[in-house]
Amino acid sequence: MSESHRIADGLVDRGTVLGFSFNGRGMAGHPGDTLASALLANGRRMVARSFKYHRPRGVFSAGSEEPNALVQLRSGARMEPNTRATAVELFDGLEATSQHHKLSLDFDPLAANNLLSPFLAAGFYYKTFMWPRKFWERLYEPLIRASAGLGRLSMQPDPDAYDKGFRHCDILVIGAGPAGLAAALSAGRSGARVVLADEDFLPGGRLNSERFEIDGAPGSEWAAKAAAELDALPNVKVMRRSTVYGAFDHGVFGVLERAADHLPDPSGKPRQILWRIYAKRSILCAGATERPIAFGNNDRPGVMLAGAARSYLNRFGVAAGMKTAVFTNNDDGWRTAADLSRKDVEITAVIDTRDGTAPVHISGASVVMGGRVVGTAGRKALRSITLAGGQVVPADCLAVSGGWNPNVHLACHLRGRPVWNQEIAAFVPPEKLPPGMAAAGAADGSPGLSAALTQGTAAGKAAAADCGFKAPKQKAPRADDESSAISAFWHVSHSRGDAWIDLQNDVTFKDIGVSFREGFRAVEHLKRYTTLGMGTDQGKTANVPALAVMAEMTGKSIEETGTTVYRPPYTPVPISAFAGRARGKDFRPIRLTPSHKWAEQRGAVFVETGAWLRAQWFPKEGEERWRQSVDREVVETRGSVGVCDVSTLGKIDIQGRDANEFLNRVYANGFSTLKVGKVRYGLMLREDGIAYDDGTTARLGENHYVMTTTTANAGLVFSQLEFARQCLWPGLDVHLISTTDGWAQFAVAGPNSRNLLIRILDPEHDISNEAFPFMACGEFTACGGHPVRLFRISFSGELAYEIAVPSRRGNSMMAALLKAGEAYGAVPYGLEALGVMRIEKGHPAGNELNGQTTALNLGLDRFVSRKKDCIGGVLSRREALQDEDAMTLAGFRPVDREQSFNAGAHFFAIGADRTPGNDEGWMSSVAFSPMLGHSIGLGFIRRGHERHGETVTAADPLRGKETEVEIVSPHFFDPDGERLRA
Amino acid sequence: MPEFQLAPEPFLGGYSGNFGANRLEEATDLSIVSIACPQGGRNDLESAVLKAWGLQIPSPGRAESAGADGPTLMFTAPDQYFALLPAGGGPPLPRVQSALGDAAYCADQSDNWVALRMSGPLASAALERICPVDTDPSAFPPGSATRTVLEHIGSIVFREEEDRFLLLAPSSFAGSFLHAVETSIKYVS
Repeated sequence: MSESHRIADGLVDRGTVLGFSFNGRGMAGHPGDTLASALLANGRRMVARSFKYHRPRGVFSAGSEEPNALVQLRSGARMEPNTRATAVELFDGLEATSQHHKLSLDFDPLAANNLLSPFLAAGFYYKTFMWPRKFWERLYEPLIRASAGLGRLSMQPDPDAYDKGFRHCDILVIGAGPAGLAAALSAGRSGARVVLADEDFLPGGRLNSERFEIDGAPGSEWAAKAAAELDALPNVKVMRRSTVYGAFDHGVFGVLERAADHLPDPSGKPRQILWRIYAKRSILCAGATERPIAFGNNDRPGVMLAGAARSYLNRFGVAAGMKTAVFTNNDDGWRTAADLSRKDVEITAVIDTRDGTAPVHISGASVVMGGRVVGTAGRKALRSITLAGGQVVPADCLAVSGGWNPNVHLACHLRGRPVWNQEIAAFVPPEKLPPGMAAAGAADGSPGLSAALTQGTAAGKAAAADCGFKAPKQKAPRADDESSAISAFWHVSHSRGDAWIDLQNDVTFKDIGVSFREGFRAVEHLKRYTTLGMGTDQGKTANVPALAVMAEMTGKSIEETGTTVYRPPYTPVPISAFAGRARGKDFRPIRLTPSHKWAEQRGAVFVETGAWLRAQWFPKEGEERWRQSVDREVVETRGSVGVCDVSTLGKIDIQGRDANEFLNRVYANGFSTLKVGKVRYGLMLREDGIAYDDGTTARLGENHYVMTTTTANAGLVFSQLEFARQCLWPGLDVHLISTTDGWAQFAVAGPNSRNLLIRILDPEHDISNEAFPFMACGEFTACGGHPVRLFRISFSGELAYEIAVPSRRGNSMMAALLKAGEAYGAVPYGLEALGVMRIEKGHPAGNELNGQTTALNLGLDRFVSRKKDCIGGVLSRREALQDEDAMTLAGFRPVDREQSFNAGAHFFAIGADRTPGNDEGWMSSVAFSPMLGHSIGLGFIRRGHERHGETVTAADPLRGKETEVEIVSPHFFDPDGERLRA
Repeated sequence: MPEFQLAPEPFLGGYSGNFGANRLEEATDLSIVSIACPQGGRNDLESAVLKAWGLQIPSPGRAESAGADGPTLMFTAPDQYFALLPAGGGPPLPRVQSALGDAAYCADQSDNWVALRMSGPLASAALERICPVDTDPSAFPPGSATRTVLEHIGSIVFREEEDRFLLLAPSSFAGSFLHAVETSIKYVS
């Protein structure tokens, strides 16, 4: 296909040819083209079919507001549906295919929907597919989905990278049209930090599409010069291909930069970057979007916005048609006729809805003042138009202008409502703009070029002054204000054929009538009933005409009718851009334990616990099931000695003259008597008296403690302690710092743990039972002078220690411990074995400390000291929390020892109905105890501590499991604790 | 010679990489000691710091440095500072404790943090991709230090020089942290 419709150079580089294809057909374009301009240059008019009726559609606009020309871009994994051809920058090798049809674009059997259109009006789906009910899933939904839907997904992972960024500036200028460039120049010259963002790849906005002059030179030249000056200013960042898609609180703006969308392959660099821009001031220079007039069959390829026809001509050197007619209600539409005529494109007619005299003389055109276009003809593209008087005018392009809507979106994102301006027959930004925002130019409802330049310059200067910068004396660039007189006109009554309001969602004038008759008259109802404005274009060309039509029907003014709520994003933002780098294994950062490398080499199986990766078990050769590994780790640890990395527990260094008093207040149990060199178990309550964390705190010195918390609550406890320190008791001299990451800590457990540690510690240290009894702690040295901390504490119930070493030495400490333990058959054990051993000992953990249980529930009520106050102390003594019938922690074992049960099972009296009223409690943790040879569980049941020996049913209807269980002491193994004190 | 050996291993194995004119490397030669000012002891701490290192206590968002061989003192929280000590001179905690005596509560933070040094003309642009804090020299001149969040990781950003940043993150995040910073510099270079 040749560039049959390329009639001038415009701003494209004709010296370079870019090859691309549409539906497999090779075509040529040039740098500076969009896909739409290149398709039009090649004479391609029908480029898509419509959403609902599969009607032929062509290019309708020249910007991001495009409702019609949606294509599948690229192929393979990079294929992307619903791309607006008008906003796609052409590159060499670009592949595009039409979407939204069966078979081919030219022959689409689903176009038969069009014949059914009298039945498929708004509300059809709601009313028709209600019955029979079961047909919905089997028949209706698959059928509707097959015929609707916008484009296809590649179903492959996106091969490209996406990124995010944070950018700060004094002034954000939104839009690089005449107002935006003028604003950025005056602000930038003052020295203020300016970001100028524009969705287009070429700064200039309408200056590139019009023949306006500034300071005696073509507007596009002035724009290029202004952009070059801004590029050169070190305090200004010009962000091309960057859409400001949302205005958020506190001067934060969302910006999508399509950094590499215009390249065939981004070569590993991010394709798009989602910026968060922080601006002290912002200037909205987003321009305006033209709107159509509704008339019969106004959706035929070849019918386009008048301003778009001008863009294709002046910017891209393309004649959208060779015989063009213009239909307008304002003076701006006449400019299209004038510009095209100047380039020798035949203007067959200019139809102006206004009475009076033609504002411009167009040679050869028949001029119809007070005229109406009532219909169009042409099978797949426009051939002729029919006027109200029956006159048929040949035309392969009809340029329509119903006036311009200022792009007020960002001015309304913080819930501002735009204001109707009768003079330009459009909504303008609300009086109360988002804090720090000003609007200038067409976005502010000032249509003239001179106004745009003057307002932009002034707004830039004012914003700079607000930020403490003084702009040098400068005059706004000189230009004329073009005429834009308008008389509102929305739709042609007595149209022949349906008049389309929302082209993307196939909403017609008639649909709005249905909505009105059904009582859906408020704009928000109209929108939802008809799906008006709910397409990917968000009704940029449709919303205002639609609500004007509704206003006419209801007899209300447009102002009274109002608009729907403006919400971000301004134009579609891909989910990939929101995800940024957070994909696959980079979804969230990962924390590794100090001995991770060692565990990896040892073949450990890892499990995620929060951000941490922890060794779950260490399979040995020949072990095929996880239970084999876990059972062995438990048996060998209890039989001799095992080592486990417990560094993930939170560690908080606490120092200060009042550290002791502080601990006494944050723990429910007393800490005032804790001596230097000793460790104590501590239970923390929330302010409402519910238990929330437990751990141990060691007293290393007179004013020096180190606290451990659970892994899950490490951050929470730290921030709660900071809150207590800073806000509850600012008079206490106490200082906190996290040392969780600073120390590698290993549990060394089992009857041979002392023997193992003796080999590691330097010989001068005595850790005999007498010198270093249960709950002792101290600072020692190991392996030839390396400082370590040793705590004689036990989670496993064995004779056990935890040894801590600065984390850079953690990996080699793990190796050293295992090596020193070889003589005793020491084993590493993972999180599962740790869990089994704590259940065997009846120690509560996360499953029990679930944010709903009290000290009483946990069997720890004696820990809540009545001799002193503590956080949560008073509220833990609330009547409801002291209920005699309260759930208490108990152990459970299957009556038939061969049986197992599930955590999450609920307890019922044997034979009782499984109703909530009969629910007696729940199983919180279960394990198979290799020491006892059967399943064991911990759980909460009413008066559990008094009911040992009773039998109940553990029912798990969700997984269809019922087990008779006996209530027993939670301390299954070594209930008297003889082993840990050995 | 003890039977069992403990060897410190840098969190990132001493990583270094060049990206055009930019460099990213693990700073393995750094010791960190946290200093908390006892309640009512501001004057004592000020004079102890001045006497020991000839330094003023840094104001919020700032770090004070005693030259290449001396310590750098960084504001990290109200009444809390980090002393960054160059390598050598023995274990860091006793060094700081003996210098400041009772004027401060100290804790060794050296192994709590993995440190990356990023330098070069694109260092600031790389940070722009992950750092919510404004690192433009006009807002964050050399000597500025702040806590922030980089790719979900609570971090410290310290501008040592116009084109050189020291980035600290909790050491358990070392691998993810390096990935975040390295990806940023790759993307912008």
